[in-house]
Amino acid sequence: MKPLFEKIAQYIKNHCQADDYTLSIQSRDSHETRFAQNAITQHIAGSTLEINLEVAFENKTGSCSVNQDDPDSLDHLIRTAESIARLNRPDPEFLPSLGAQDLPAVQNADPITRELAPQQMVQIVQAAIDQAKGFGATVSGMTEKHYGEELRATKNGFWGTDSETQFGHSMTLKKAEVETKVSYSAKNFGGFSLEQDFDRLRSQAESLADMHPFEPQKIAVILRPSALEELIWFMGWMMNRRQSDEGFTPFTGQLNQLFFGEKFSLQSTLRRPELLASPFNYQCVPSREIAWVENGILKNMPCDRYWAQNQGIEPLSSYNMHIPGGTASEEEMMSLVPRGLIINQFWYIRTVDAKAGELTGMTRDGVLYFEDGKVKHAVNNLRFNEIPHLATRRIKALGPAQLASAYSFLPTLLIEDFNFVDKTTF
Amino acid sequence: MNYPDLAMNAAQSLGAEYADIRIQKTTDQVIFLRNLSLKNTSNNVLDGYGIRVFKDGAWGFAHSSRFSEEELLATVKRAYEIATLSASVNKNKKLRLAPERSYIASYTTPMKTDPLCVPFQEKVELMLEVNRILLAHEGIRQAIFYLISHRDEKVFASTLGTRLELNTGWIDPMIIATAIHEGDSQSRTFDEGGRATGWEWIESLNLTEKAKQIAEEALIKVKADTLGPEERRSLVLDPNHLGLTMHESVGHPTELDRVLGWEADYAGISFATPEKLKNYQYGSPIVNFVGDNTLCEGLATAGFDDDGVPGQKWHIIKDGILNEYGSTRDTALEIGLEHSRGCNRATYYYDQPINRIPNLYLLPGAKELTPAELIADTEDGVYIQGRGSFSIDQHRVNFQFGGDFFWEIKNGKLERPLKKVLYKSCNPEFWNSCDAICDQRWWRPFGVINCGKGQPSQSARMTHGAAPARFRNIRVGGSQ
Repeated sequence: MKPLFEKIAQYIKNHCQADDYTLSIQSRDSHETRFAQNAITQHIAGSTLEINLEVAFENKTGSCSVNQDDPDSLDHLIRTAESIARLNRPDPEFLPSLGAQDLPAVQNADPITRELAPQQMVQIVQAAIDQAKGFGATVSGMTEKHYGEELRATKNGFWGTDSETQFGHSMTLKKAEVETKVSYSAKNFGGFSLEQDFDRLRSQAESLADMHPFEPQKIAVILRPSALEELIWFMGWMMNRRQSDEGFTPFTGQLNQLFFGEKFSLQSTLRRPELLASPFNYQCVPSREIAWVENGILKNMPCDRYWAQNQGIEPLSSYNMHIPGGTASEEEMMSLVPRGLIINQFWYIRTVDAKAGELTGMTRDGVLYFEDGKVKHAVNNLRFNEIPHLATRRIKALGPAQLASAYSFLPTLLIEDFNFVDKTTF
Repeated sequence: MNYPDLAMNAAQSLGAEYADIRIQKTTDQVIFLRNLSLKNTSNNVLDGYGIRVFKDGAWGFAHSSRFSEEELLATVKRAYEIATLSASVNKNKKLRLAPERSYIASYTTPMKTDPLCVPFQEKVELMLEVNRILLAHEGIRQAIFYLISHRDEKVFASTLGTRLELNTGWIDPMIIATAIHEGDSQSRTFDEGGRATGWEWIESLNLTEKAKQIAEEALIKVKADTLGPEERRSLVLDPNHLGLTMHESVGHPTELDRVLGWEADYAGISFATPEKLKNYQYGSPIVNFVGDNTLCEGLATAGFDDDGVPGQKWHIIKDGILNEYGSTRDTALEIGLEHSRGCNRATYYYDQPINRIPNLYLLPGAKELTPAELIADTEDGVYIQGRGSFSIDQHRVNFQFGGDFFWEIKNGKLERPLKKVLYKSCNPEFWNSCDAICDQRWWRPFGVINCGKGQPSQSARMTHGAAPARFRNIRVGGSQ
């Protein structure tokens, strides 16, 4: 941890007069190279610092954040947070901050990724552009590297630190009317191979060259991990314990019920070393193994400390996403249904009906039609209106789980009767 | 210390063809009240500077929050070095900057009472009163009041000699009433999307009356019927709803960076390509869209953009024809424009500015027409108020929108309230189906404060506006 963080924490401890406080300090070192149509269009480097202080006088709270660490700024931080709290109305849901906790040991930072030089990142971009030119195409995307550190401390004795790295490289290739994308996002640069990703990109582009019009309908889909990730994140936002207990979500009254398909489980896990996992959440609650859904049964939902105490349960937060997979390959999946679509990615997912859990969104980056166990041709992009938890009841097969992003380890799923309701022109 | 001069001199000494510095202090006050529990009452300050260097057809951008001569010079050097690295890749595809003159100017958002100077307790008392009113309605189970007050203090300087002081501010109240009835849950929202003005706007809104209205409408909505299967119907859309429709289906497709494919990897590209300029029938002849970064109280009105280009007013769609784009200095020359339209904006000091939607509005109809007359003239349709679900493809062609409050129109009358209404359409079908727009007496502005775009993602603001308008023969139906 940076000595600066300790110095700030000591300053707050010495000067903050409030009955209680939670201090959060985050720093981030980033380098982002953005390219489009075979040229670099943006190139950004810098470090940021955020110091947030939430204080309480009895049950009156106030908070302030600044991004400077000099004494004047820290005095402003303390004075402002305290002044808001003193003037504030009591919060009937206030809870004192947590004291010392046993935190899980995590390894979220990779030294090689942290030291990645700007020259290396530009070389990756250059190589991607060279590959695209060699393929007679244009490529757009971003190469990014981040190193972050965090400290969270409370007046009552909580002290938690974390550091993490992230490396990402995305490429959208365009050749004639074909557009498709491959992206890599992980805490570790070591798992990245431009050649491997570009081969996949080229192969996807070649498979999409023969495009046929396709009408919206209910049809089986093979959802690749990148598409599944988007869908499950949006469903996850509706899985809130308090909102459900109070009647606002589709999960109301469904705890410990078989509400999802029996083939579907969803977890947050500290046991997958590939995944980023913060050791504590925004309320200083330690992360632990959580089964959100187990073989179709809704076991838990994210819950803040107030509502957890109110309900006599443990507070929980989602810190990453793991859906245990199966063994089916895409070829095997194609043989399990007469016809269907392979979906690379979803885009612009939005809630249609929060109570029903209905979402809408579009396919993106290539859709393939298969029949009789074989890919026949590409088709136009489609719009879906679908209820994800109901869709899990139609899972017919699962592929092996794999790293979808730094926060997600997911399988490919075969789902029957996915509800497409509209199409677009490309 | 004169940071702008120091930075610009350093950039020129290093060999920058162009450079600018944006020293920006952003202050946000956020108050979030859920029922009667204050969930967030915070004051947040982000203070720092970003330096852009243009060299051999490429950008480098570096930022810092440390104010010292040594750090400033190191940041200039860093920007220069990464511009040089970028240029090594752009050898055969150099970016070019549209010409611009220098300015010495200042701009301050006109306001009587700075929202950040209004006593905190006054805001909280108002918010508590509103939520108490909402919760006093039987059947309202959740009351949300979210209030953001925002200020940006910027100093901009460039190697062109431009020196600007830009102080802008805005305020945004959002109130949500959620009702539960027979297993369903529906919300009604008061959300005008923010306005670049002072606390006097909040005082003029009569929020306690608005609270009664949205509570009553949430209760009507939760008990309302659904529309049933999708059919071709007429739509009458209120200005608030149209704000989001035009944002997605006109604003984003006419950002020049998307047209050029610069957003291909993330936010998407545009169907409205340059060969369509001056000849493409984007909408019916009564459809006129204006980009206007001089609009009074507009969220994108700041005097100048982050290229140092002054705010302008121009037709984006004129008499239904695609006329021009929103552009920046680094996109304009790509399609032969002579200058930028001043649409380059960054959110915080650490963001490199990108091509953004300007304040964009639909001009009112030329003939006198009231909303009541418009509805009376509609046989079979749906009247939609407010914003709901919205989703559009990455070329900005196919879209599906919901809304916040719905009435079925039958034989010229509002027949019954509805819930869960969706409509599907596409460009250019939708705007070509517009056959009536109410006159200027009914024109209203509505803001967007969370327009997400770019990698790394930035959230921008702009104002839209319209009078109620009618669209014929649109696919409208209920959700599942």
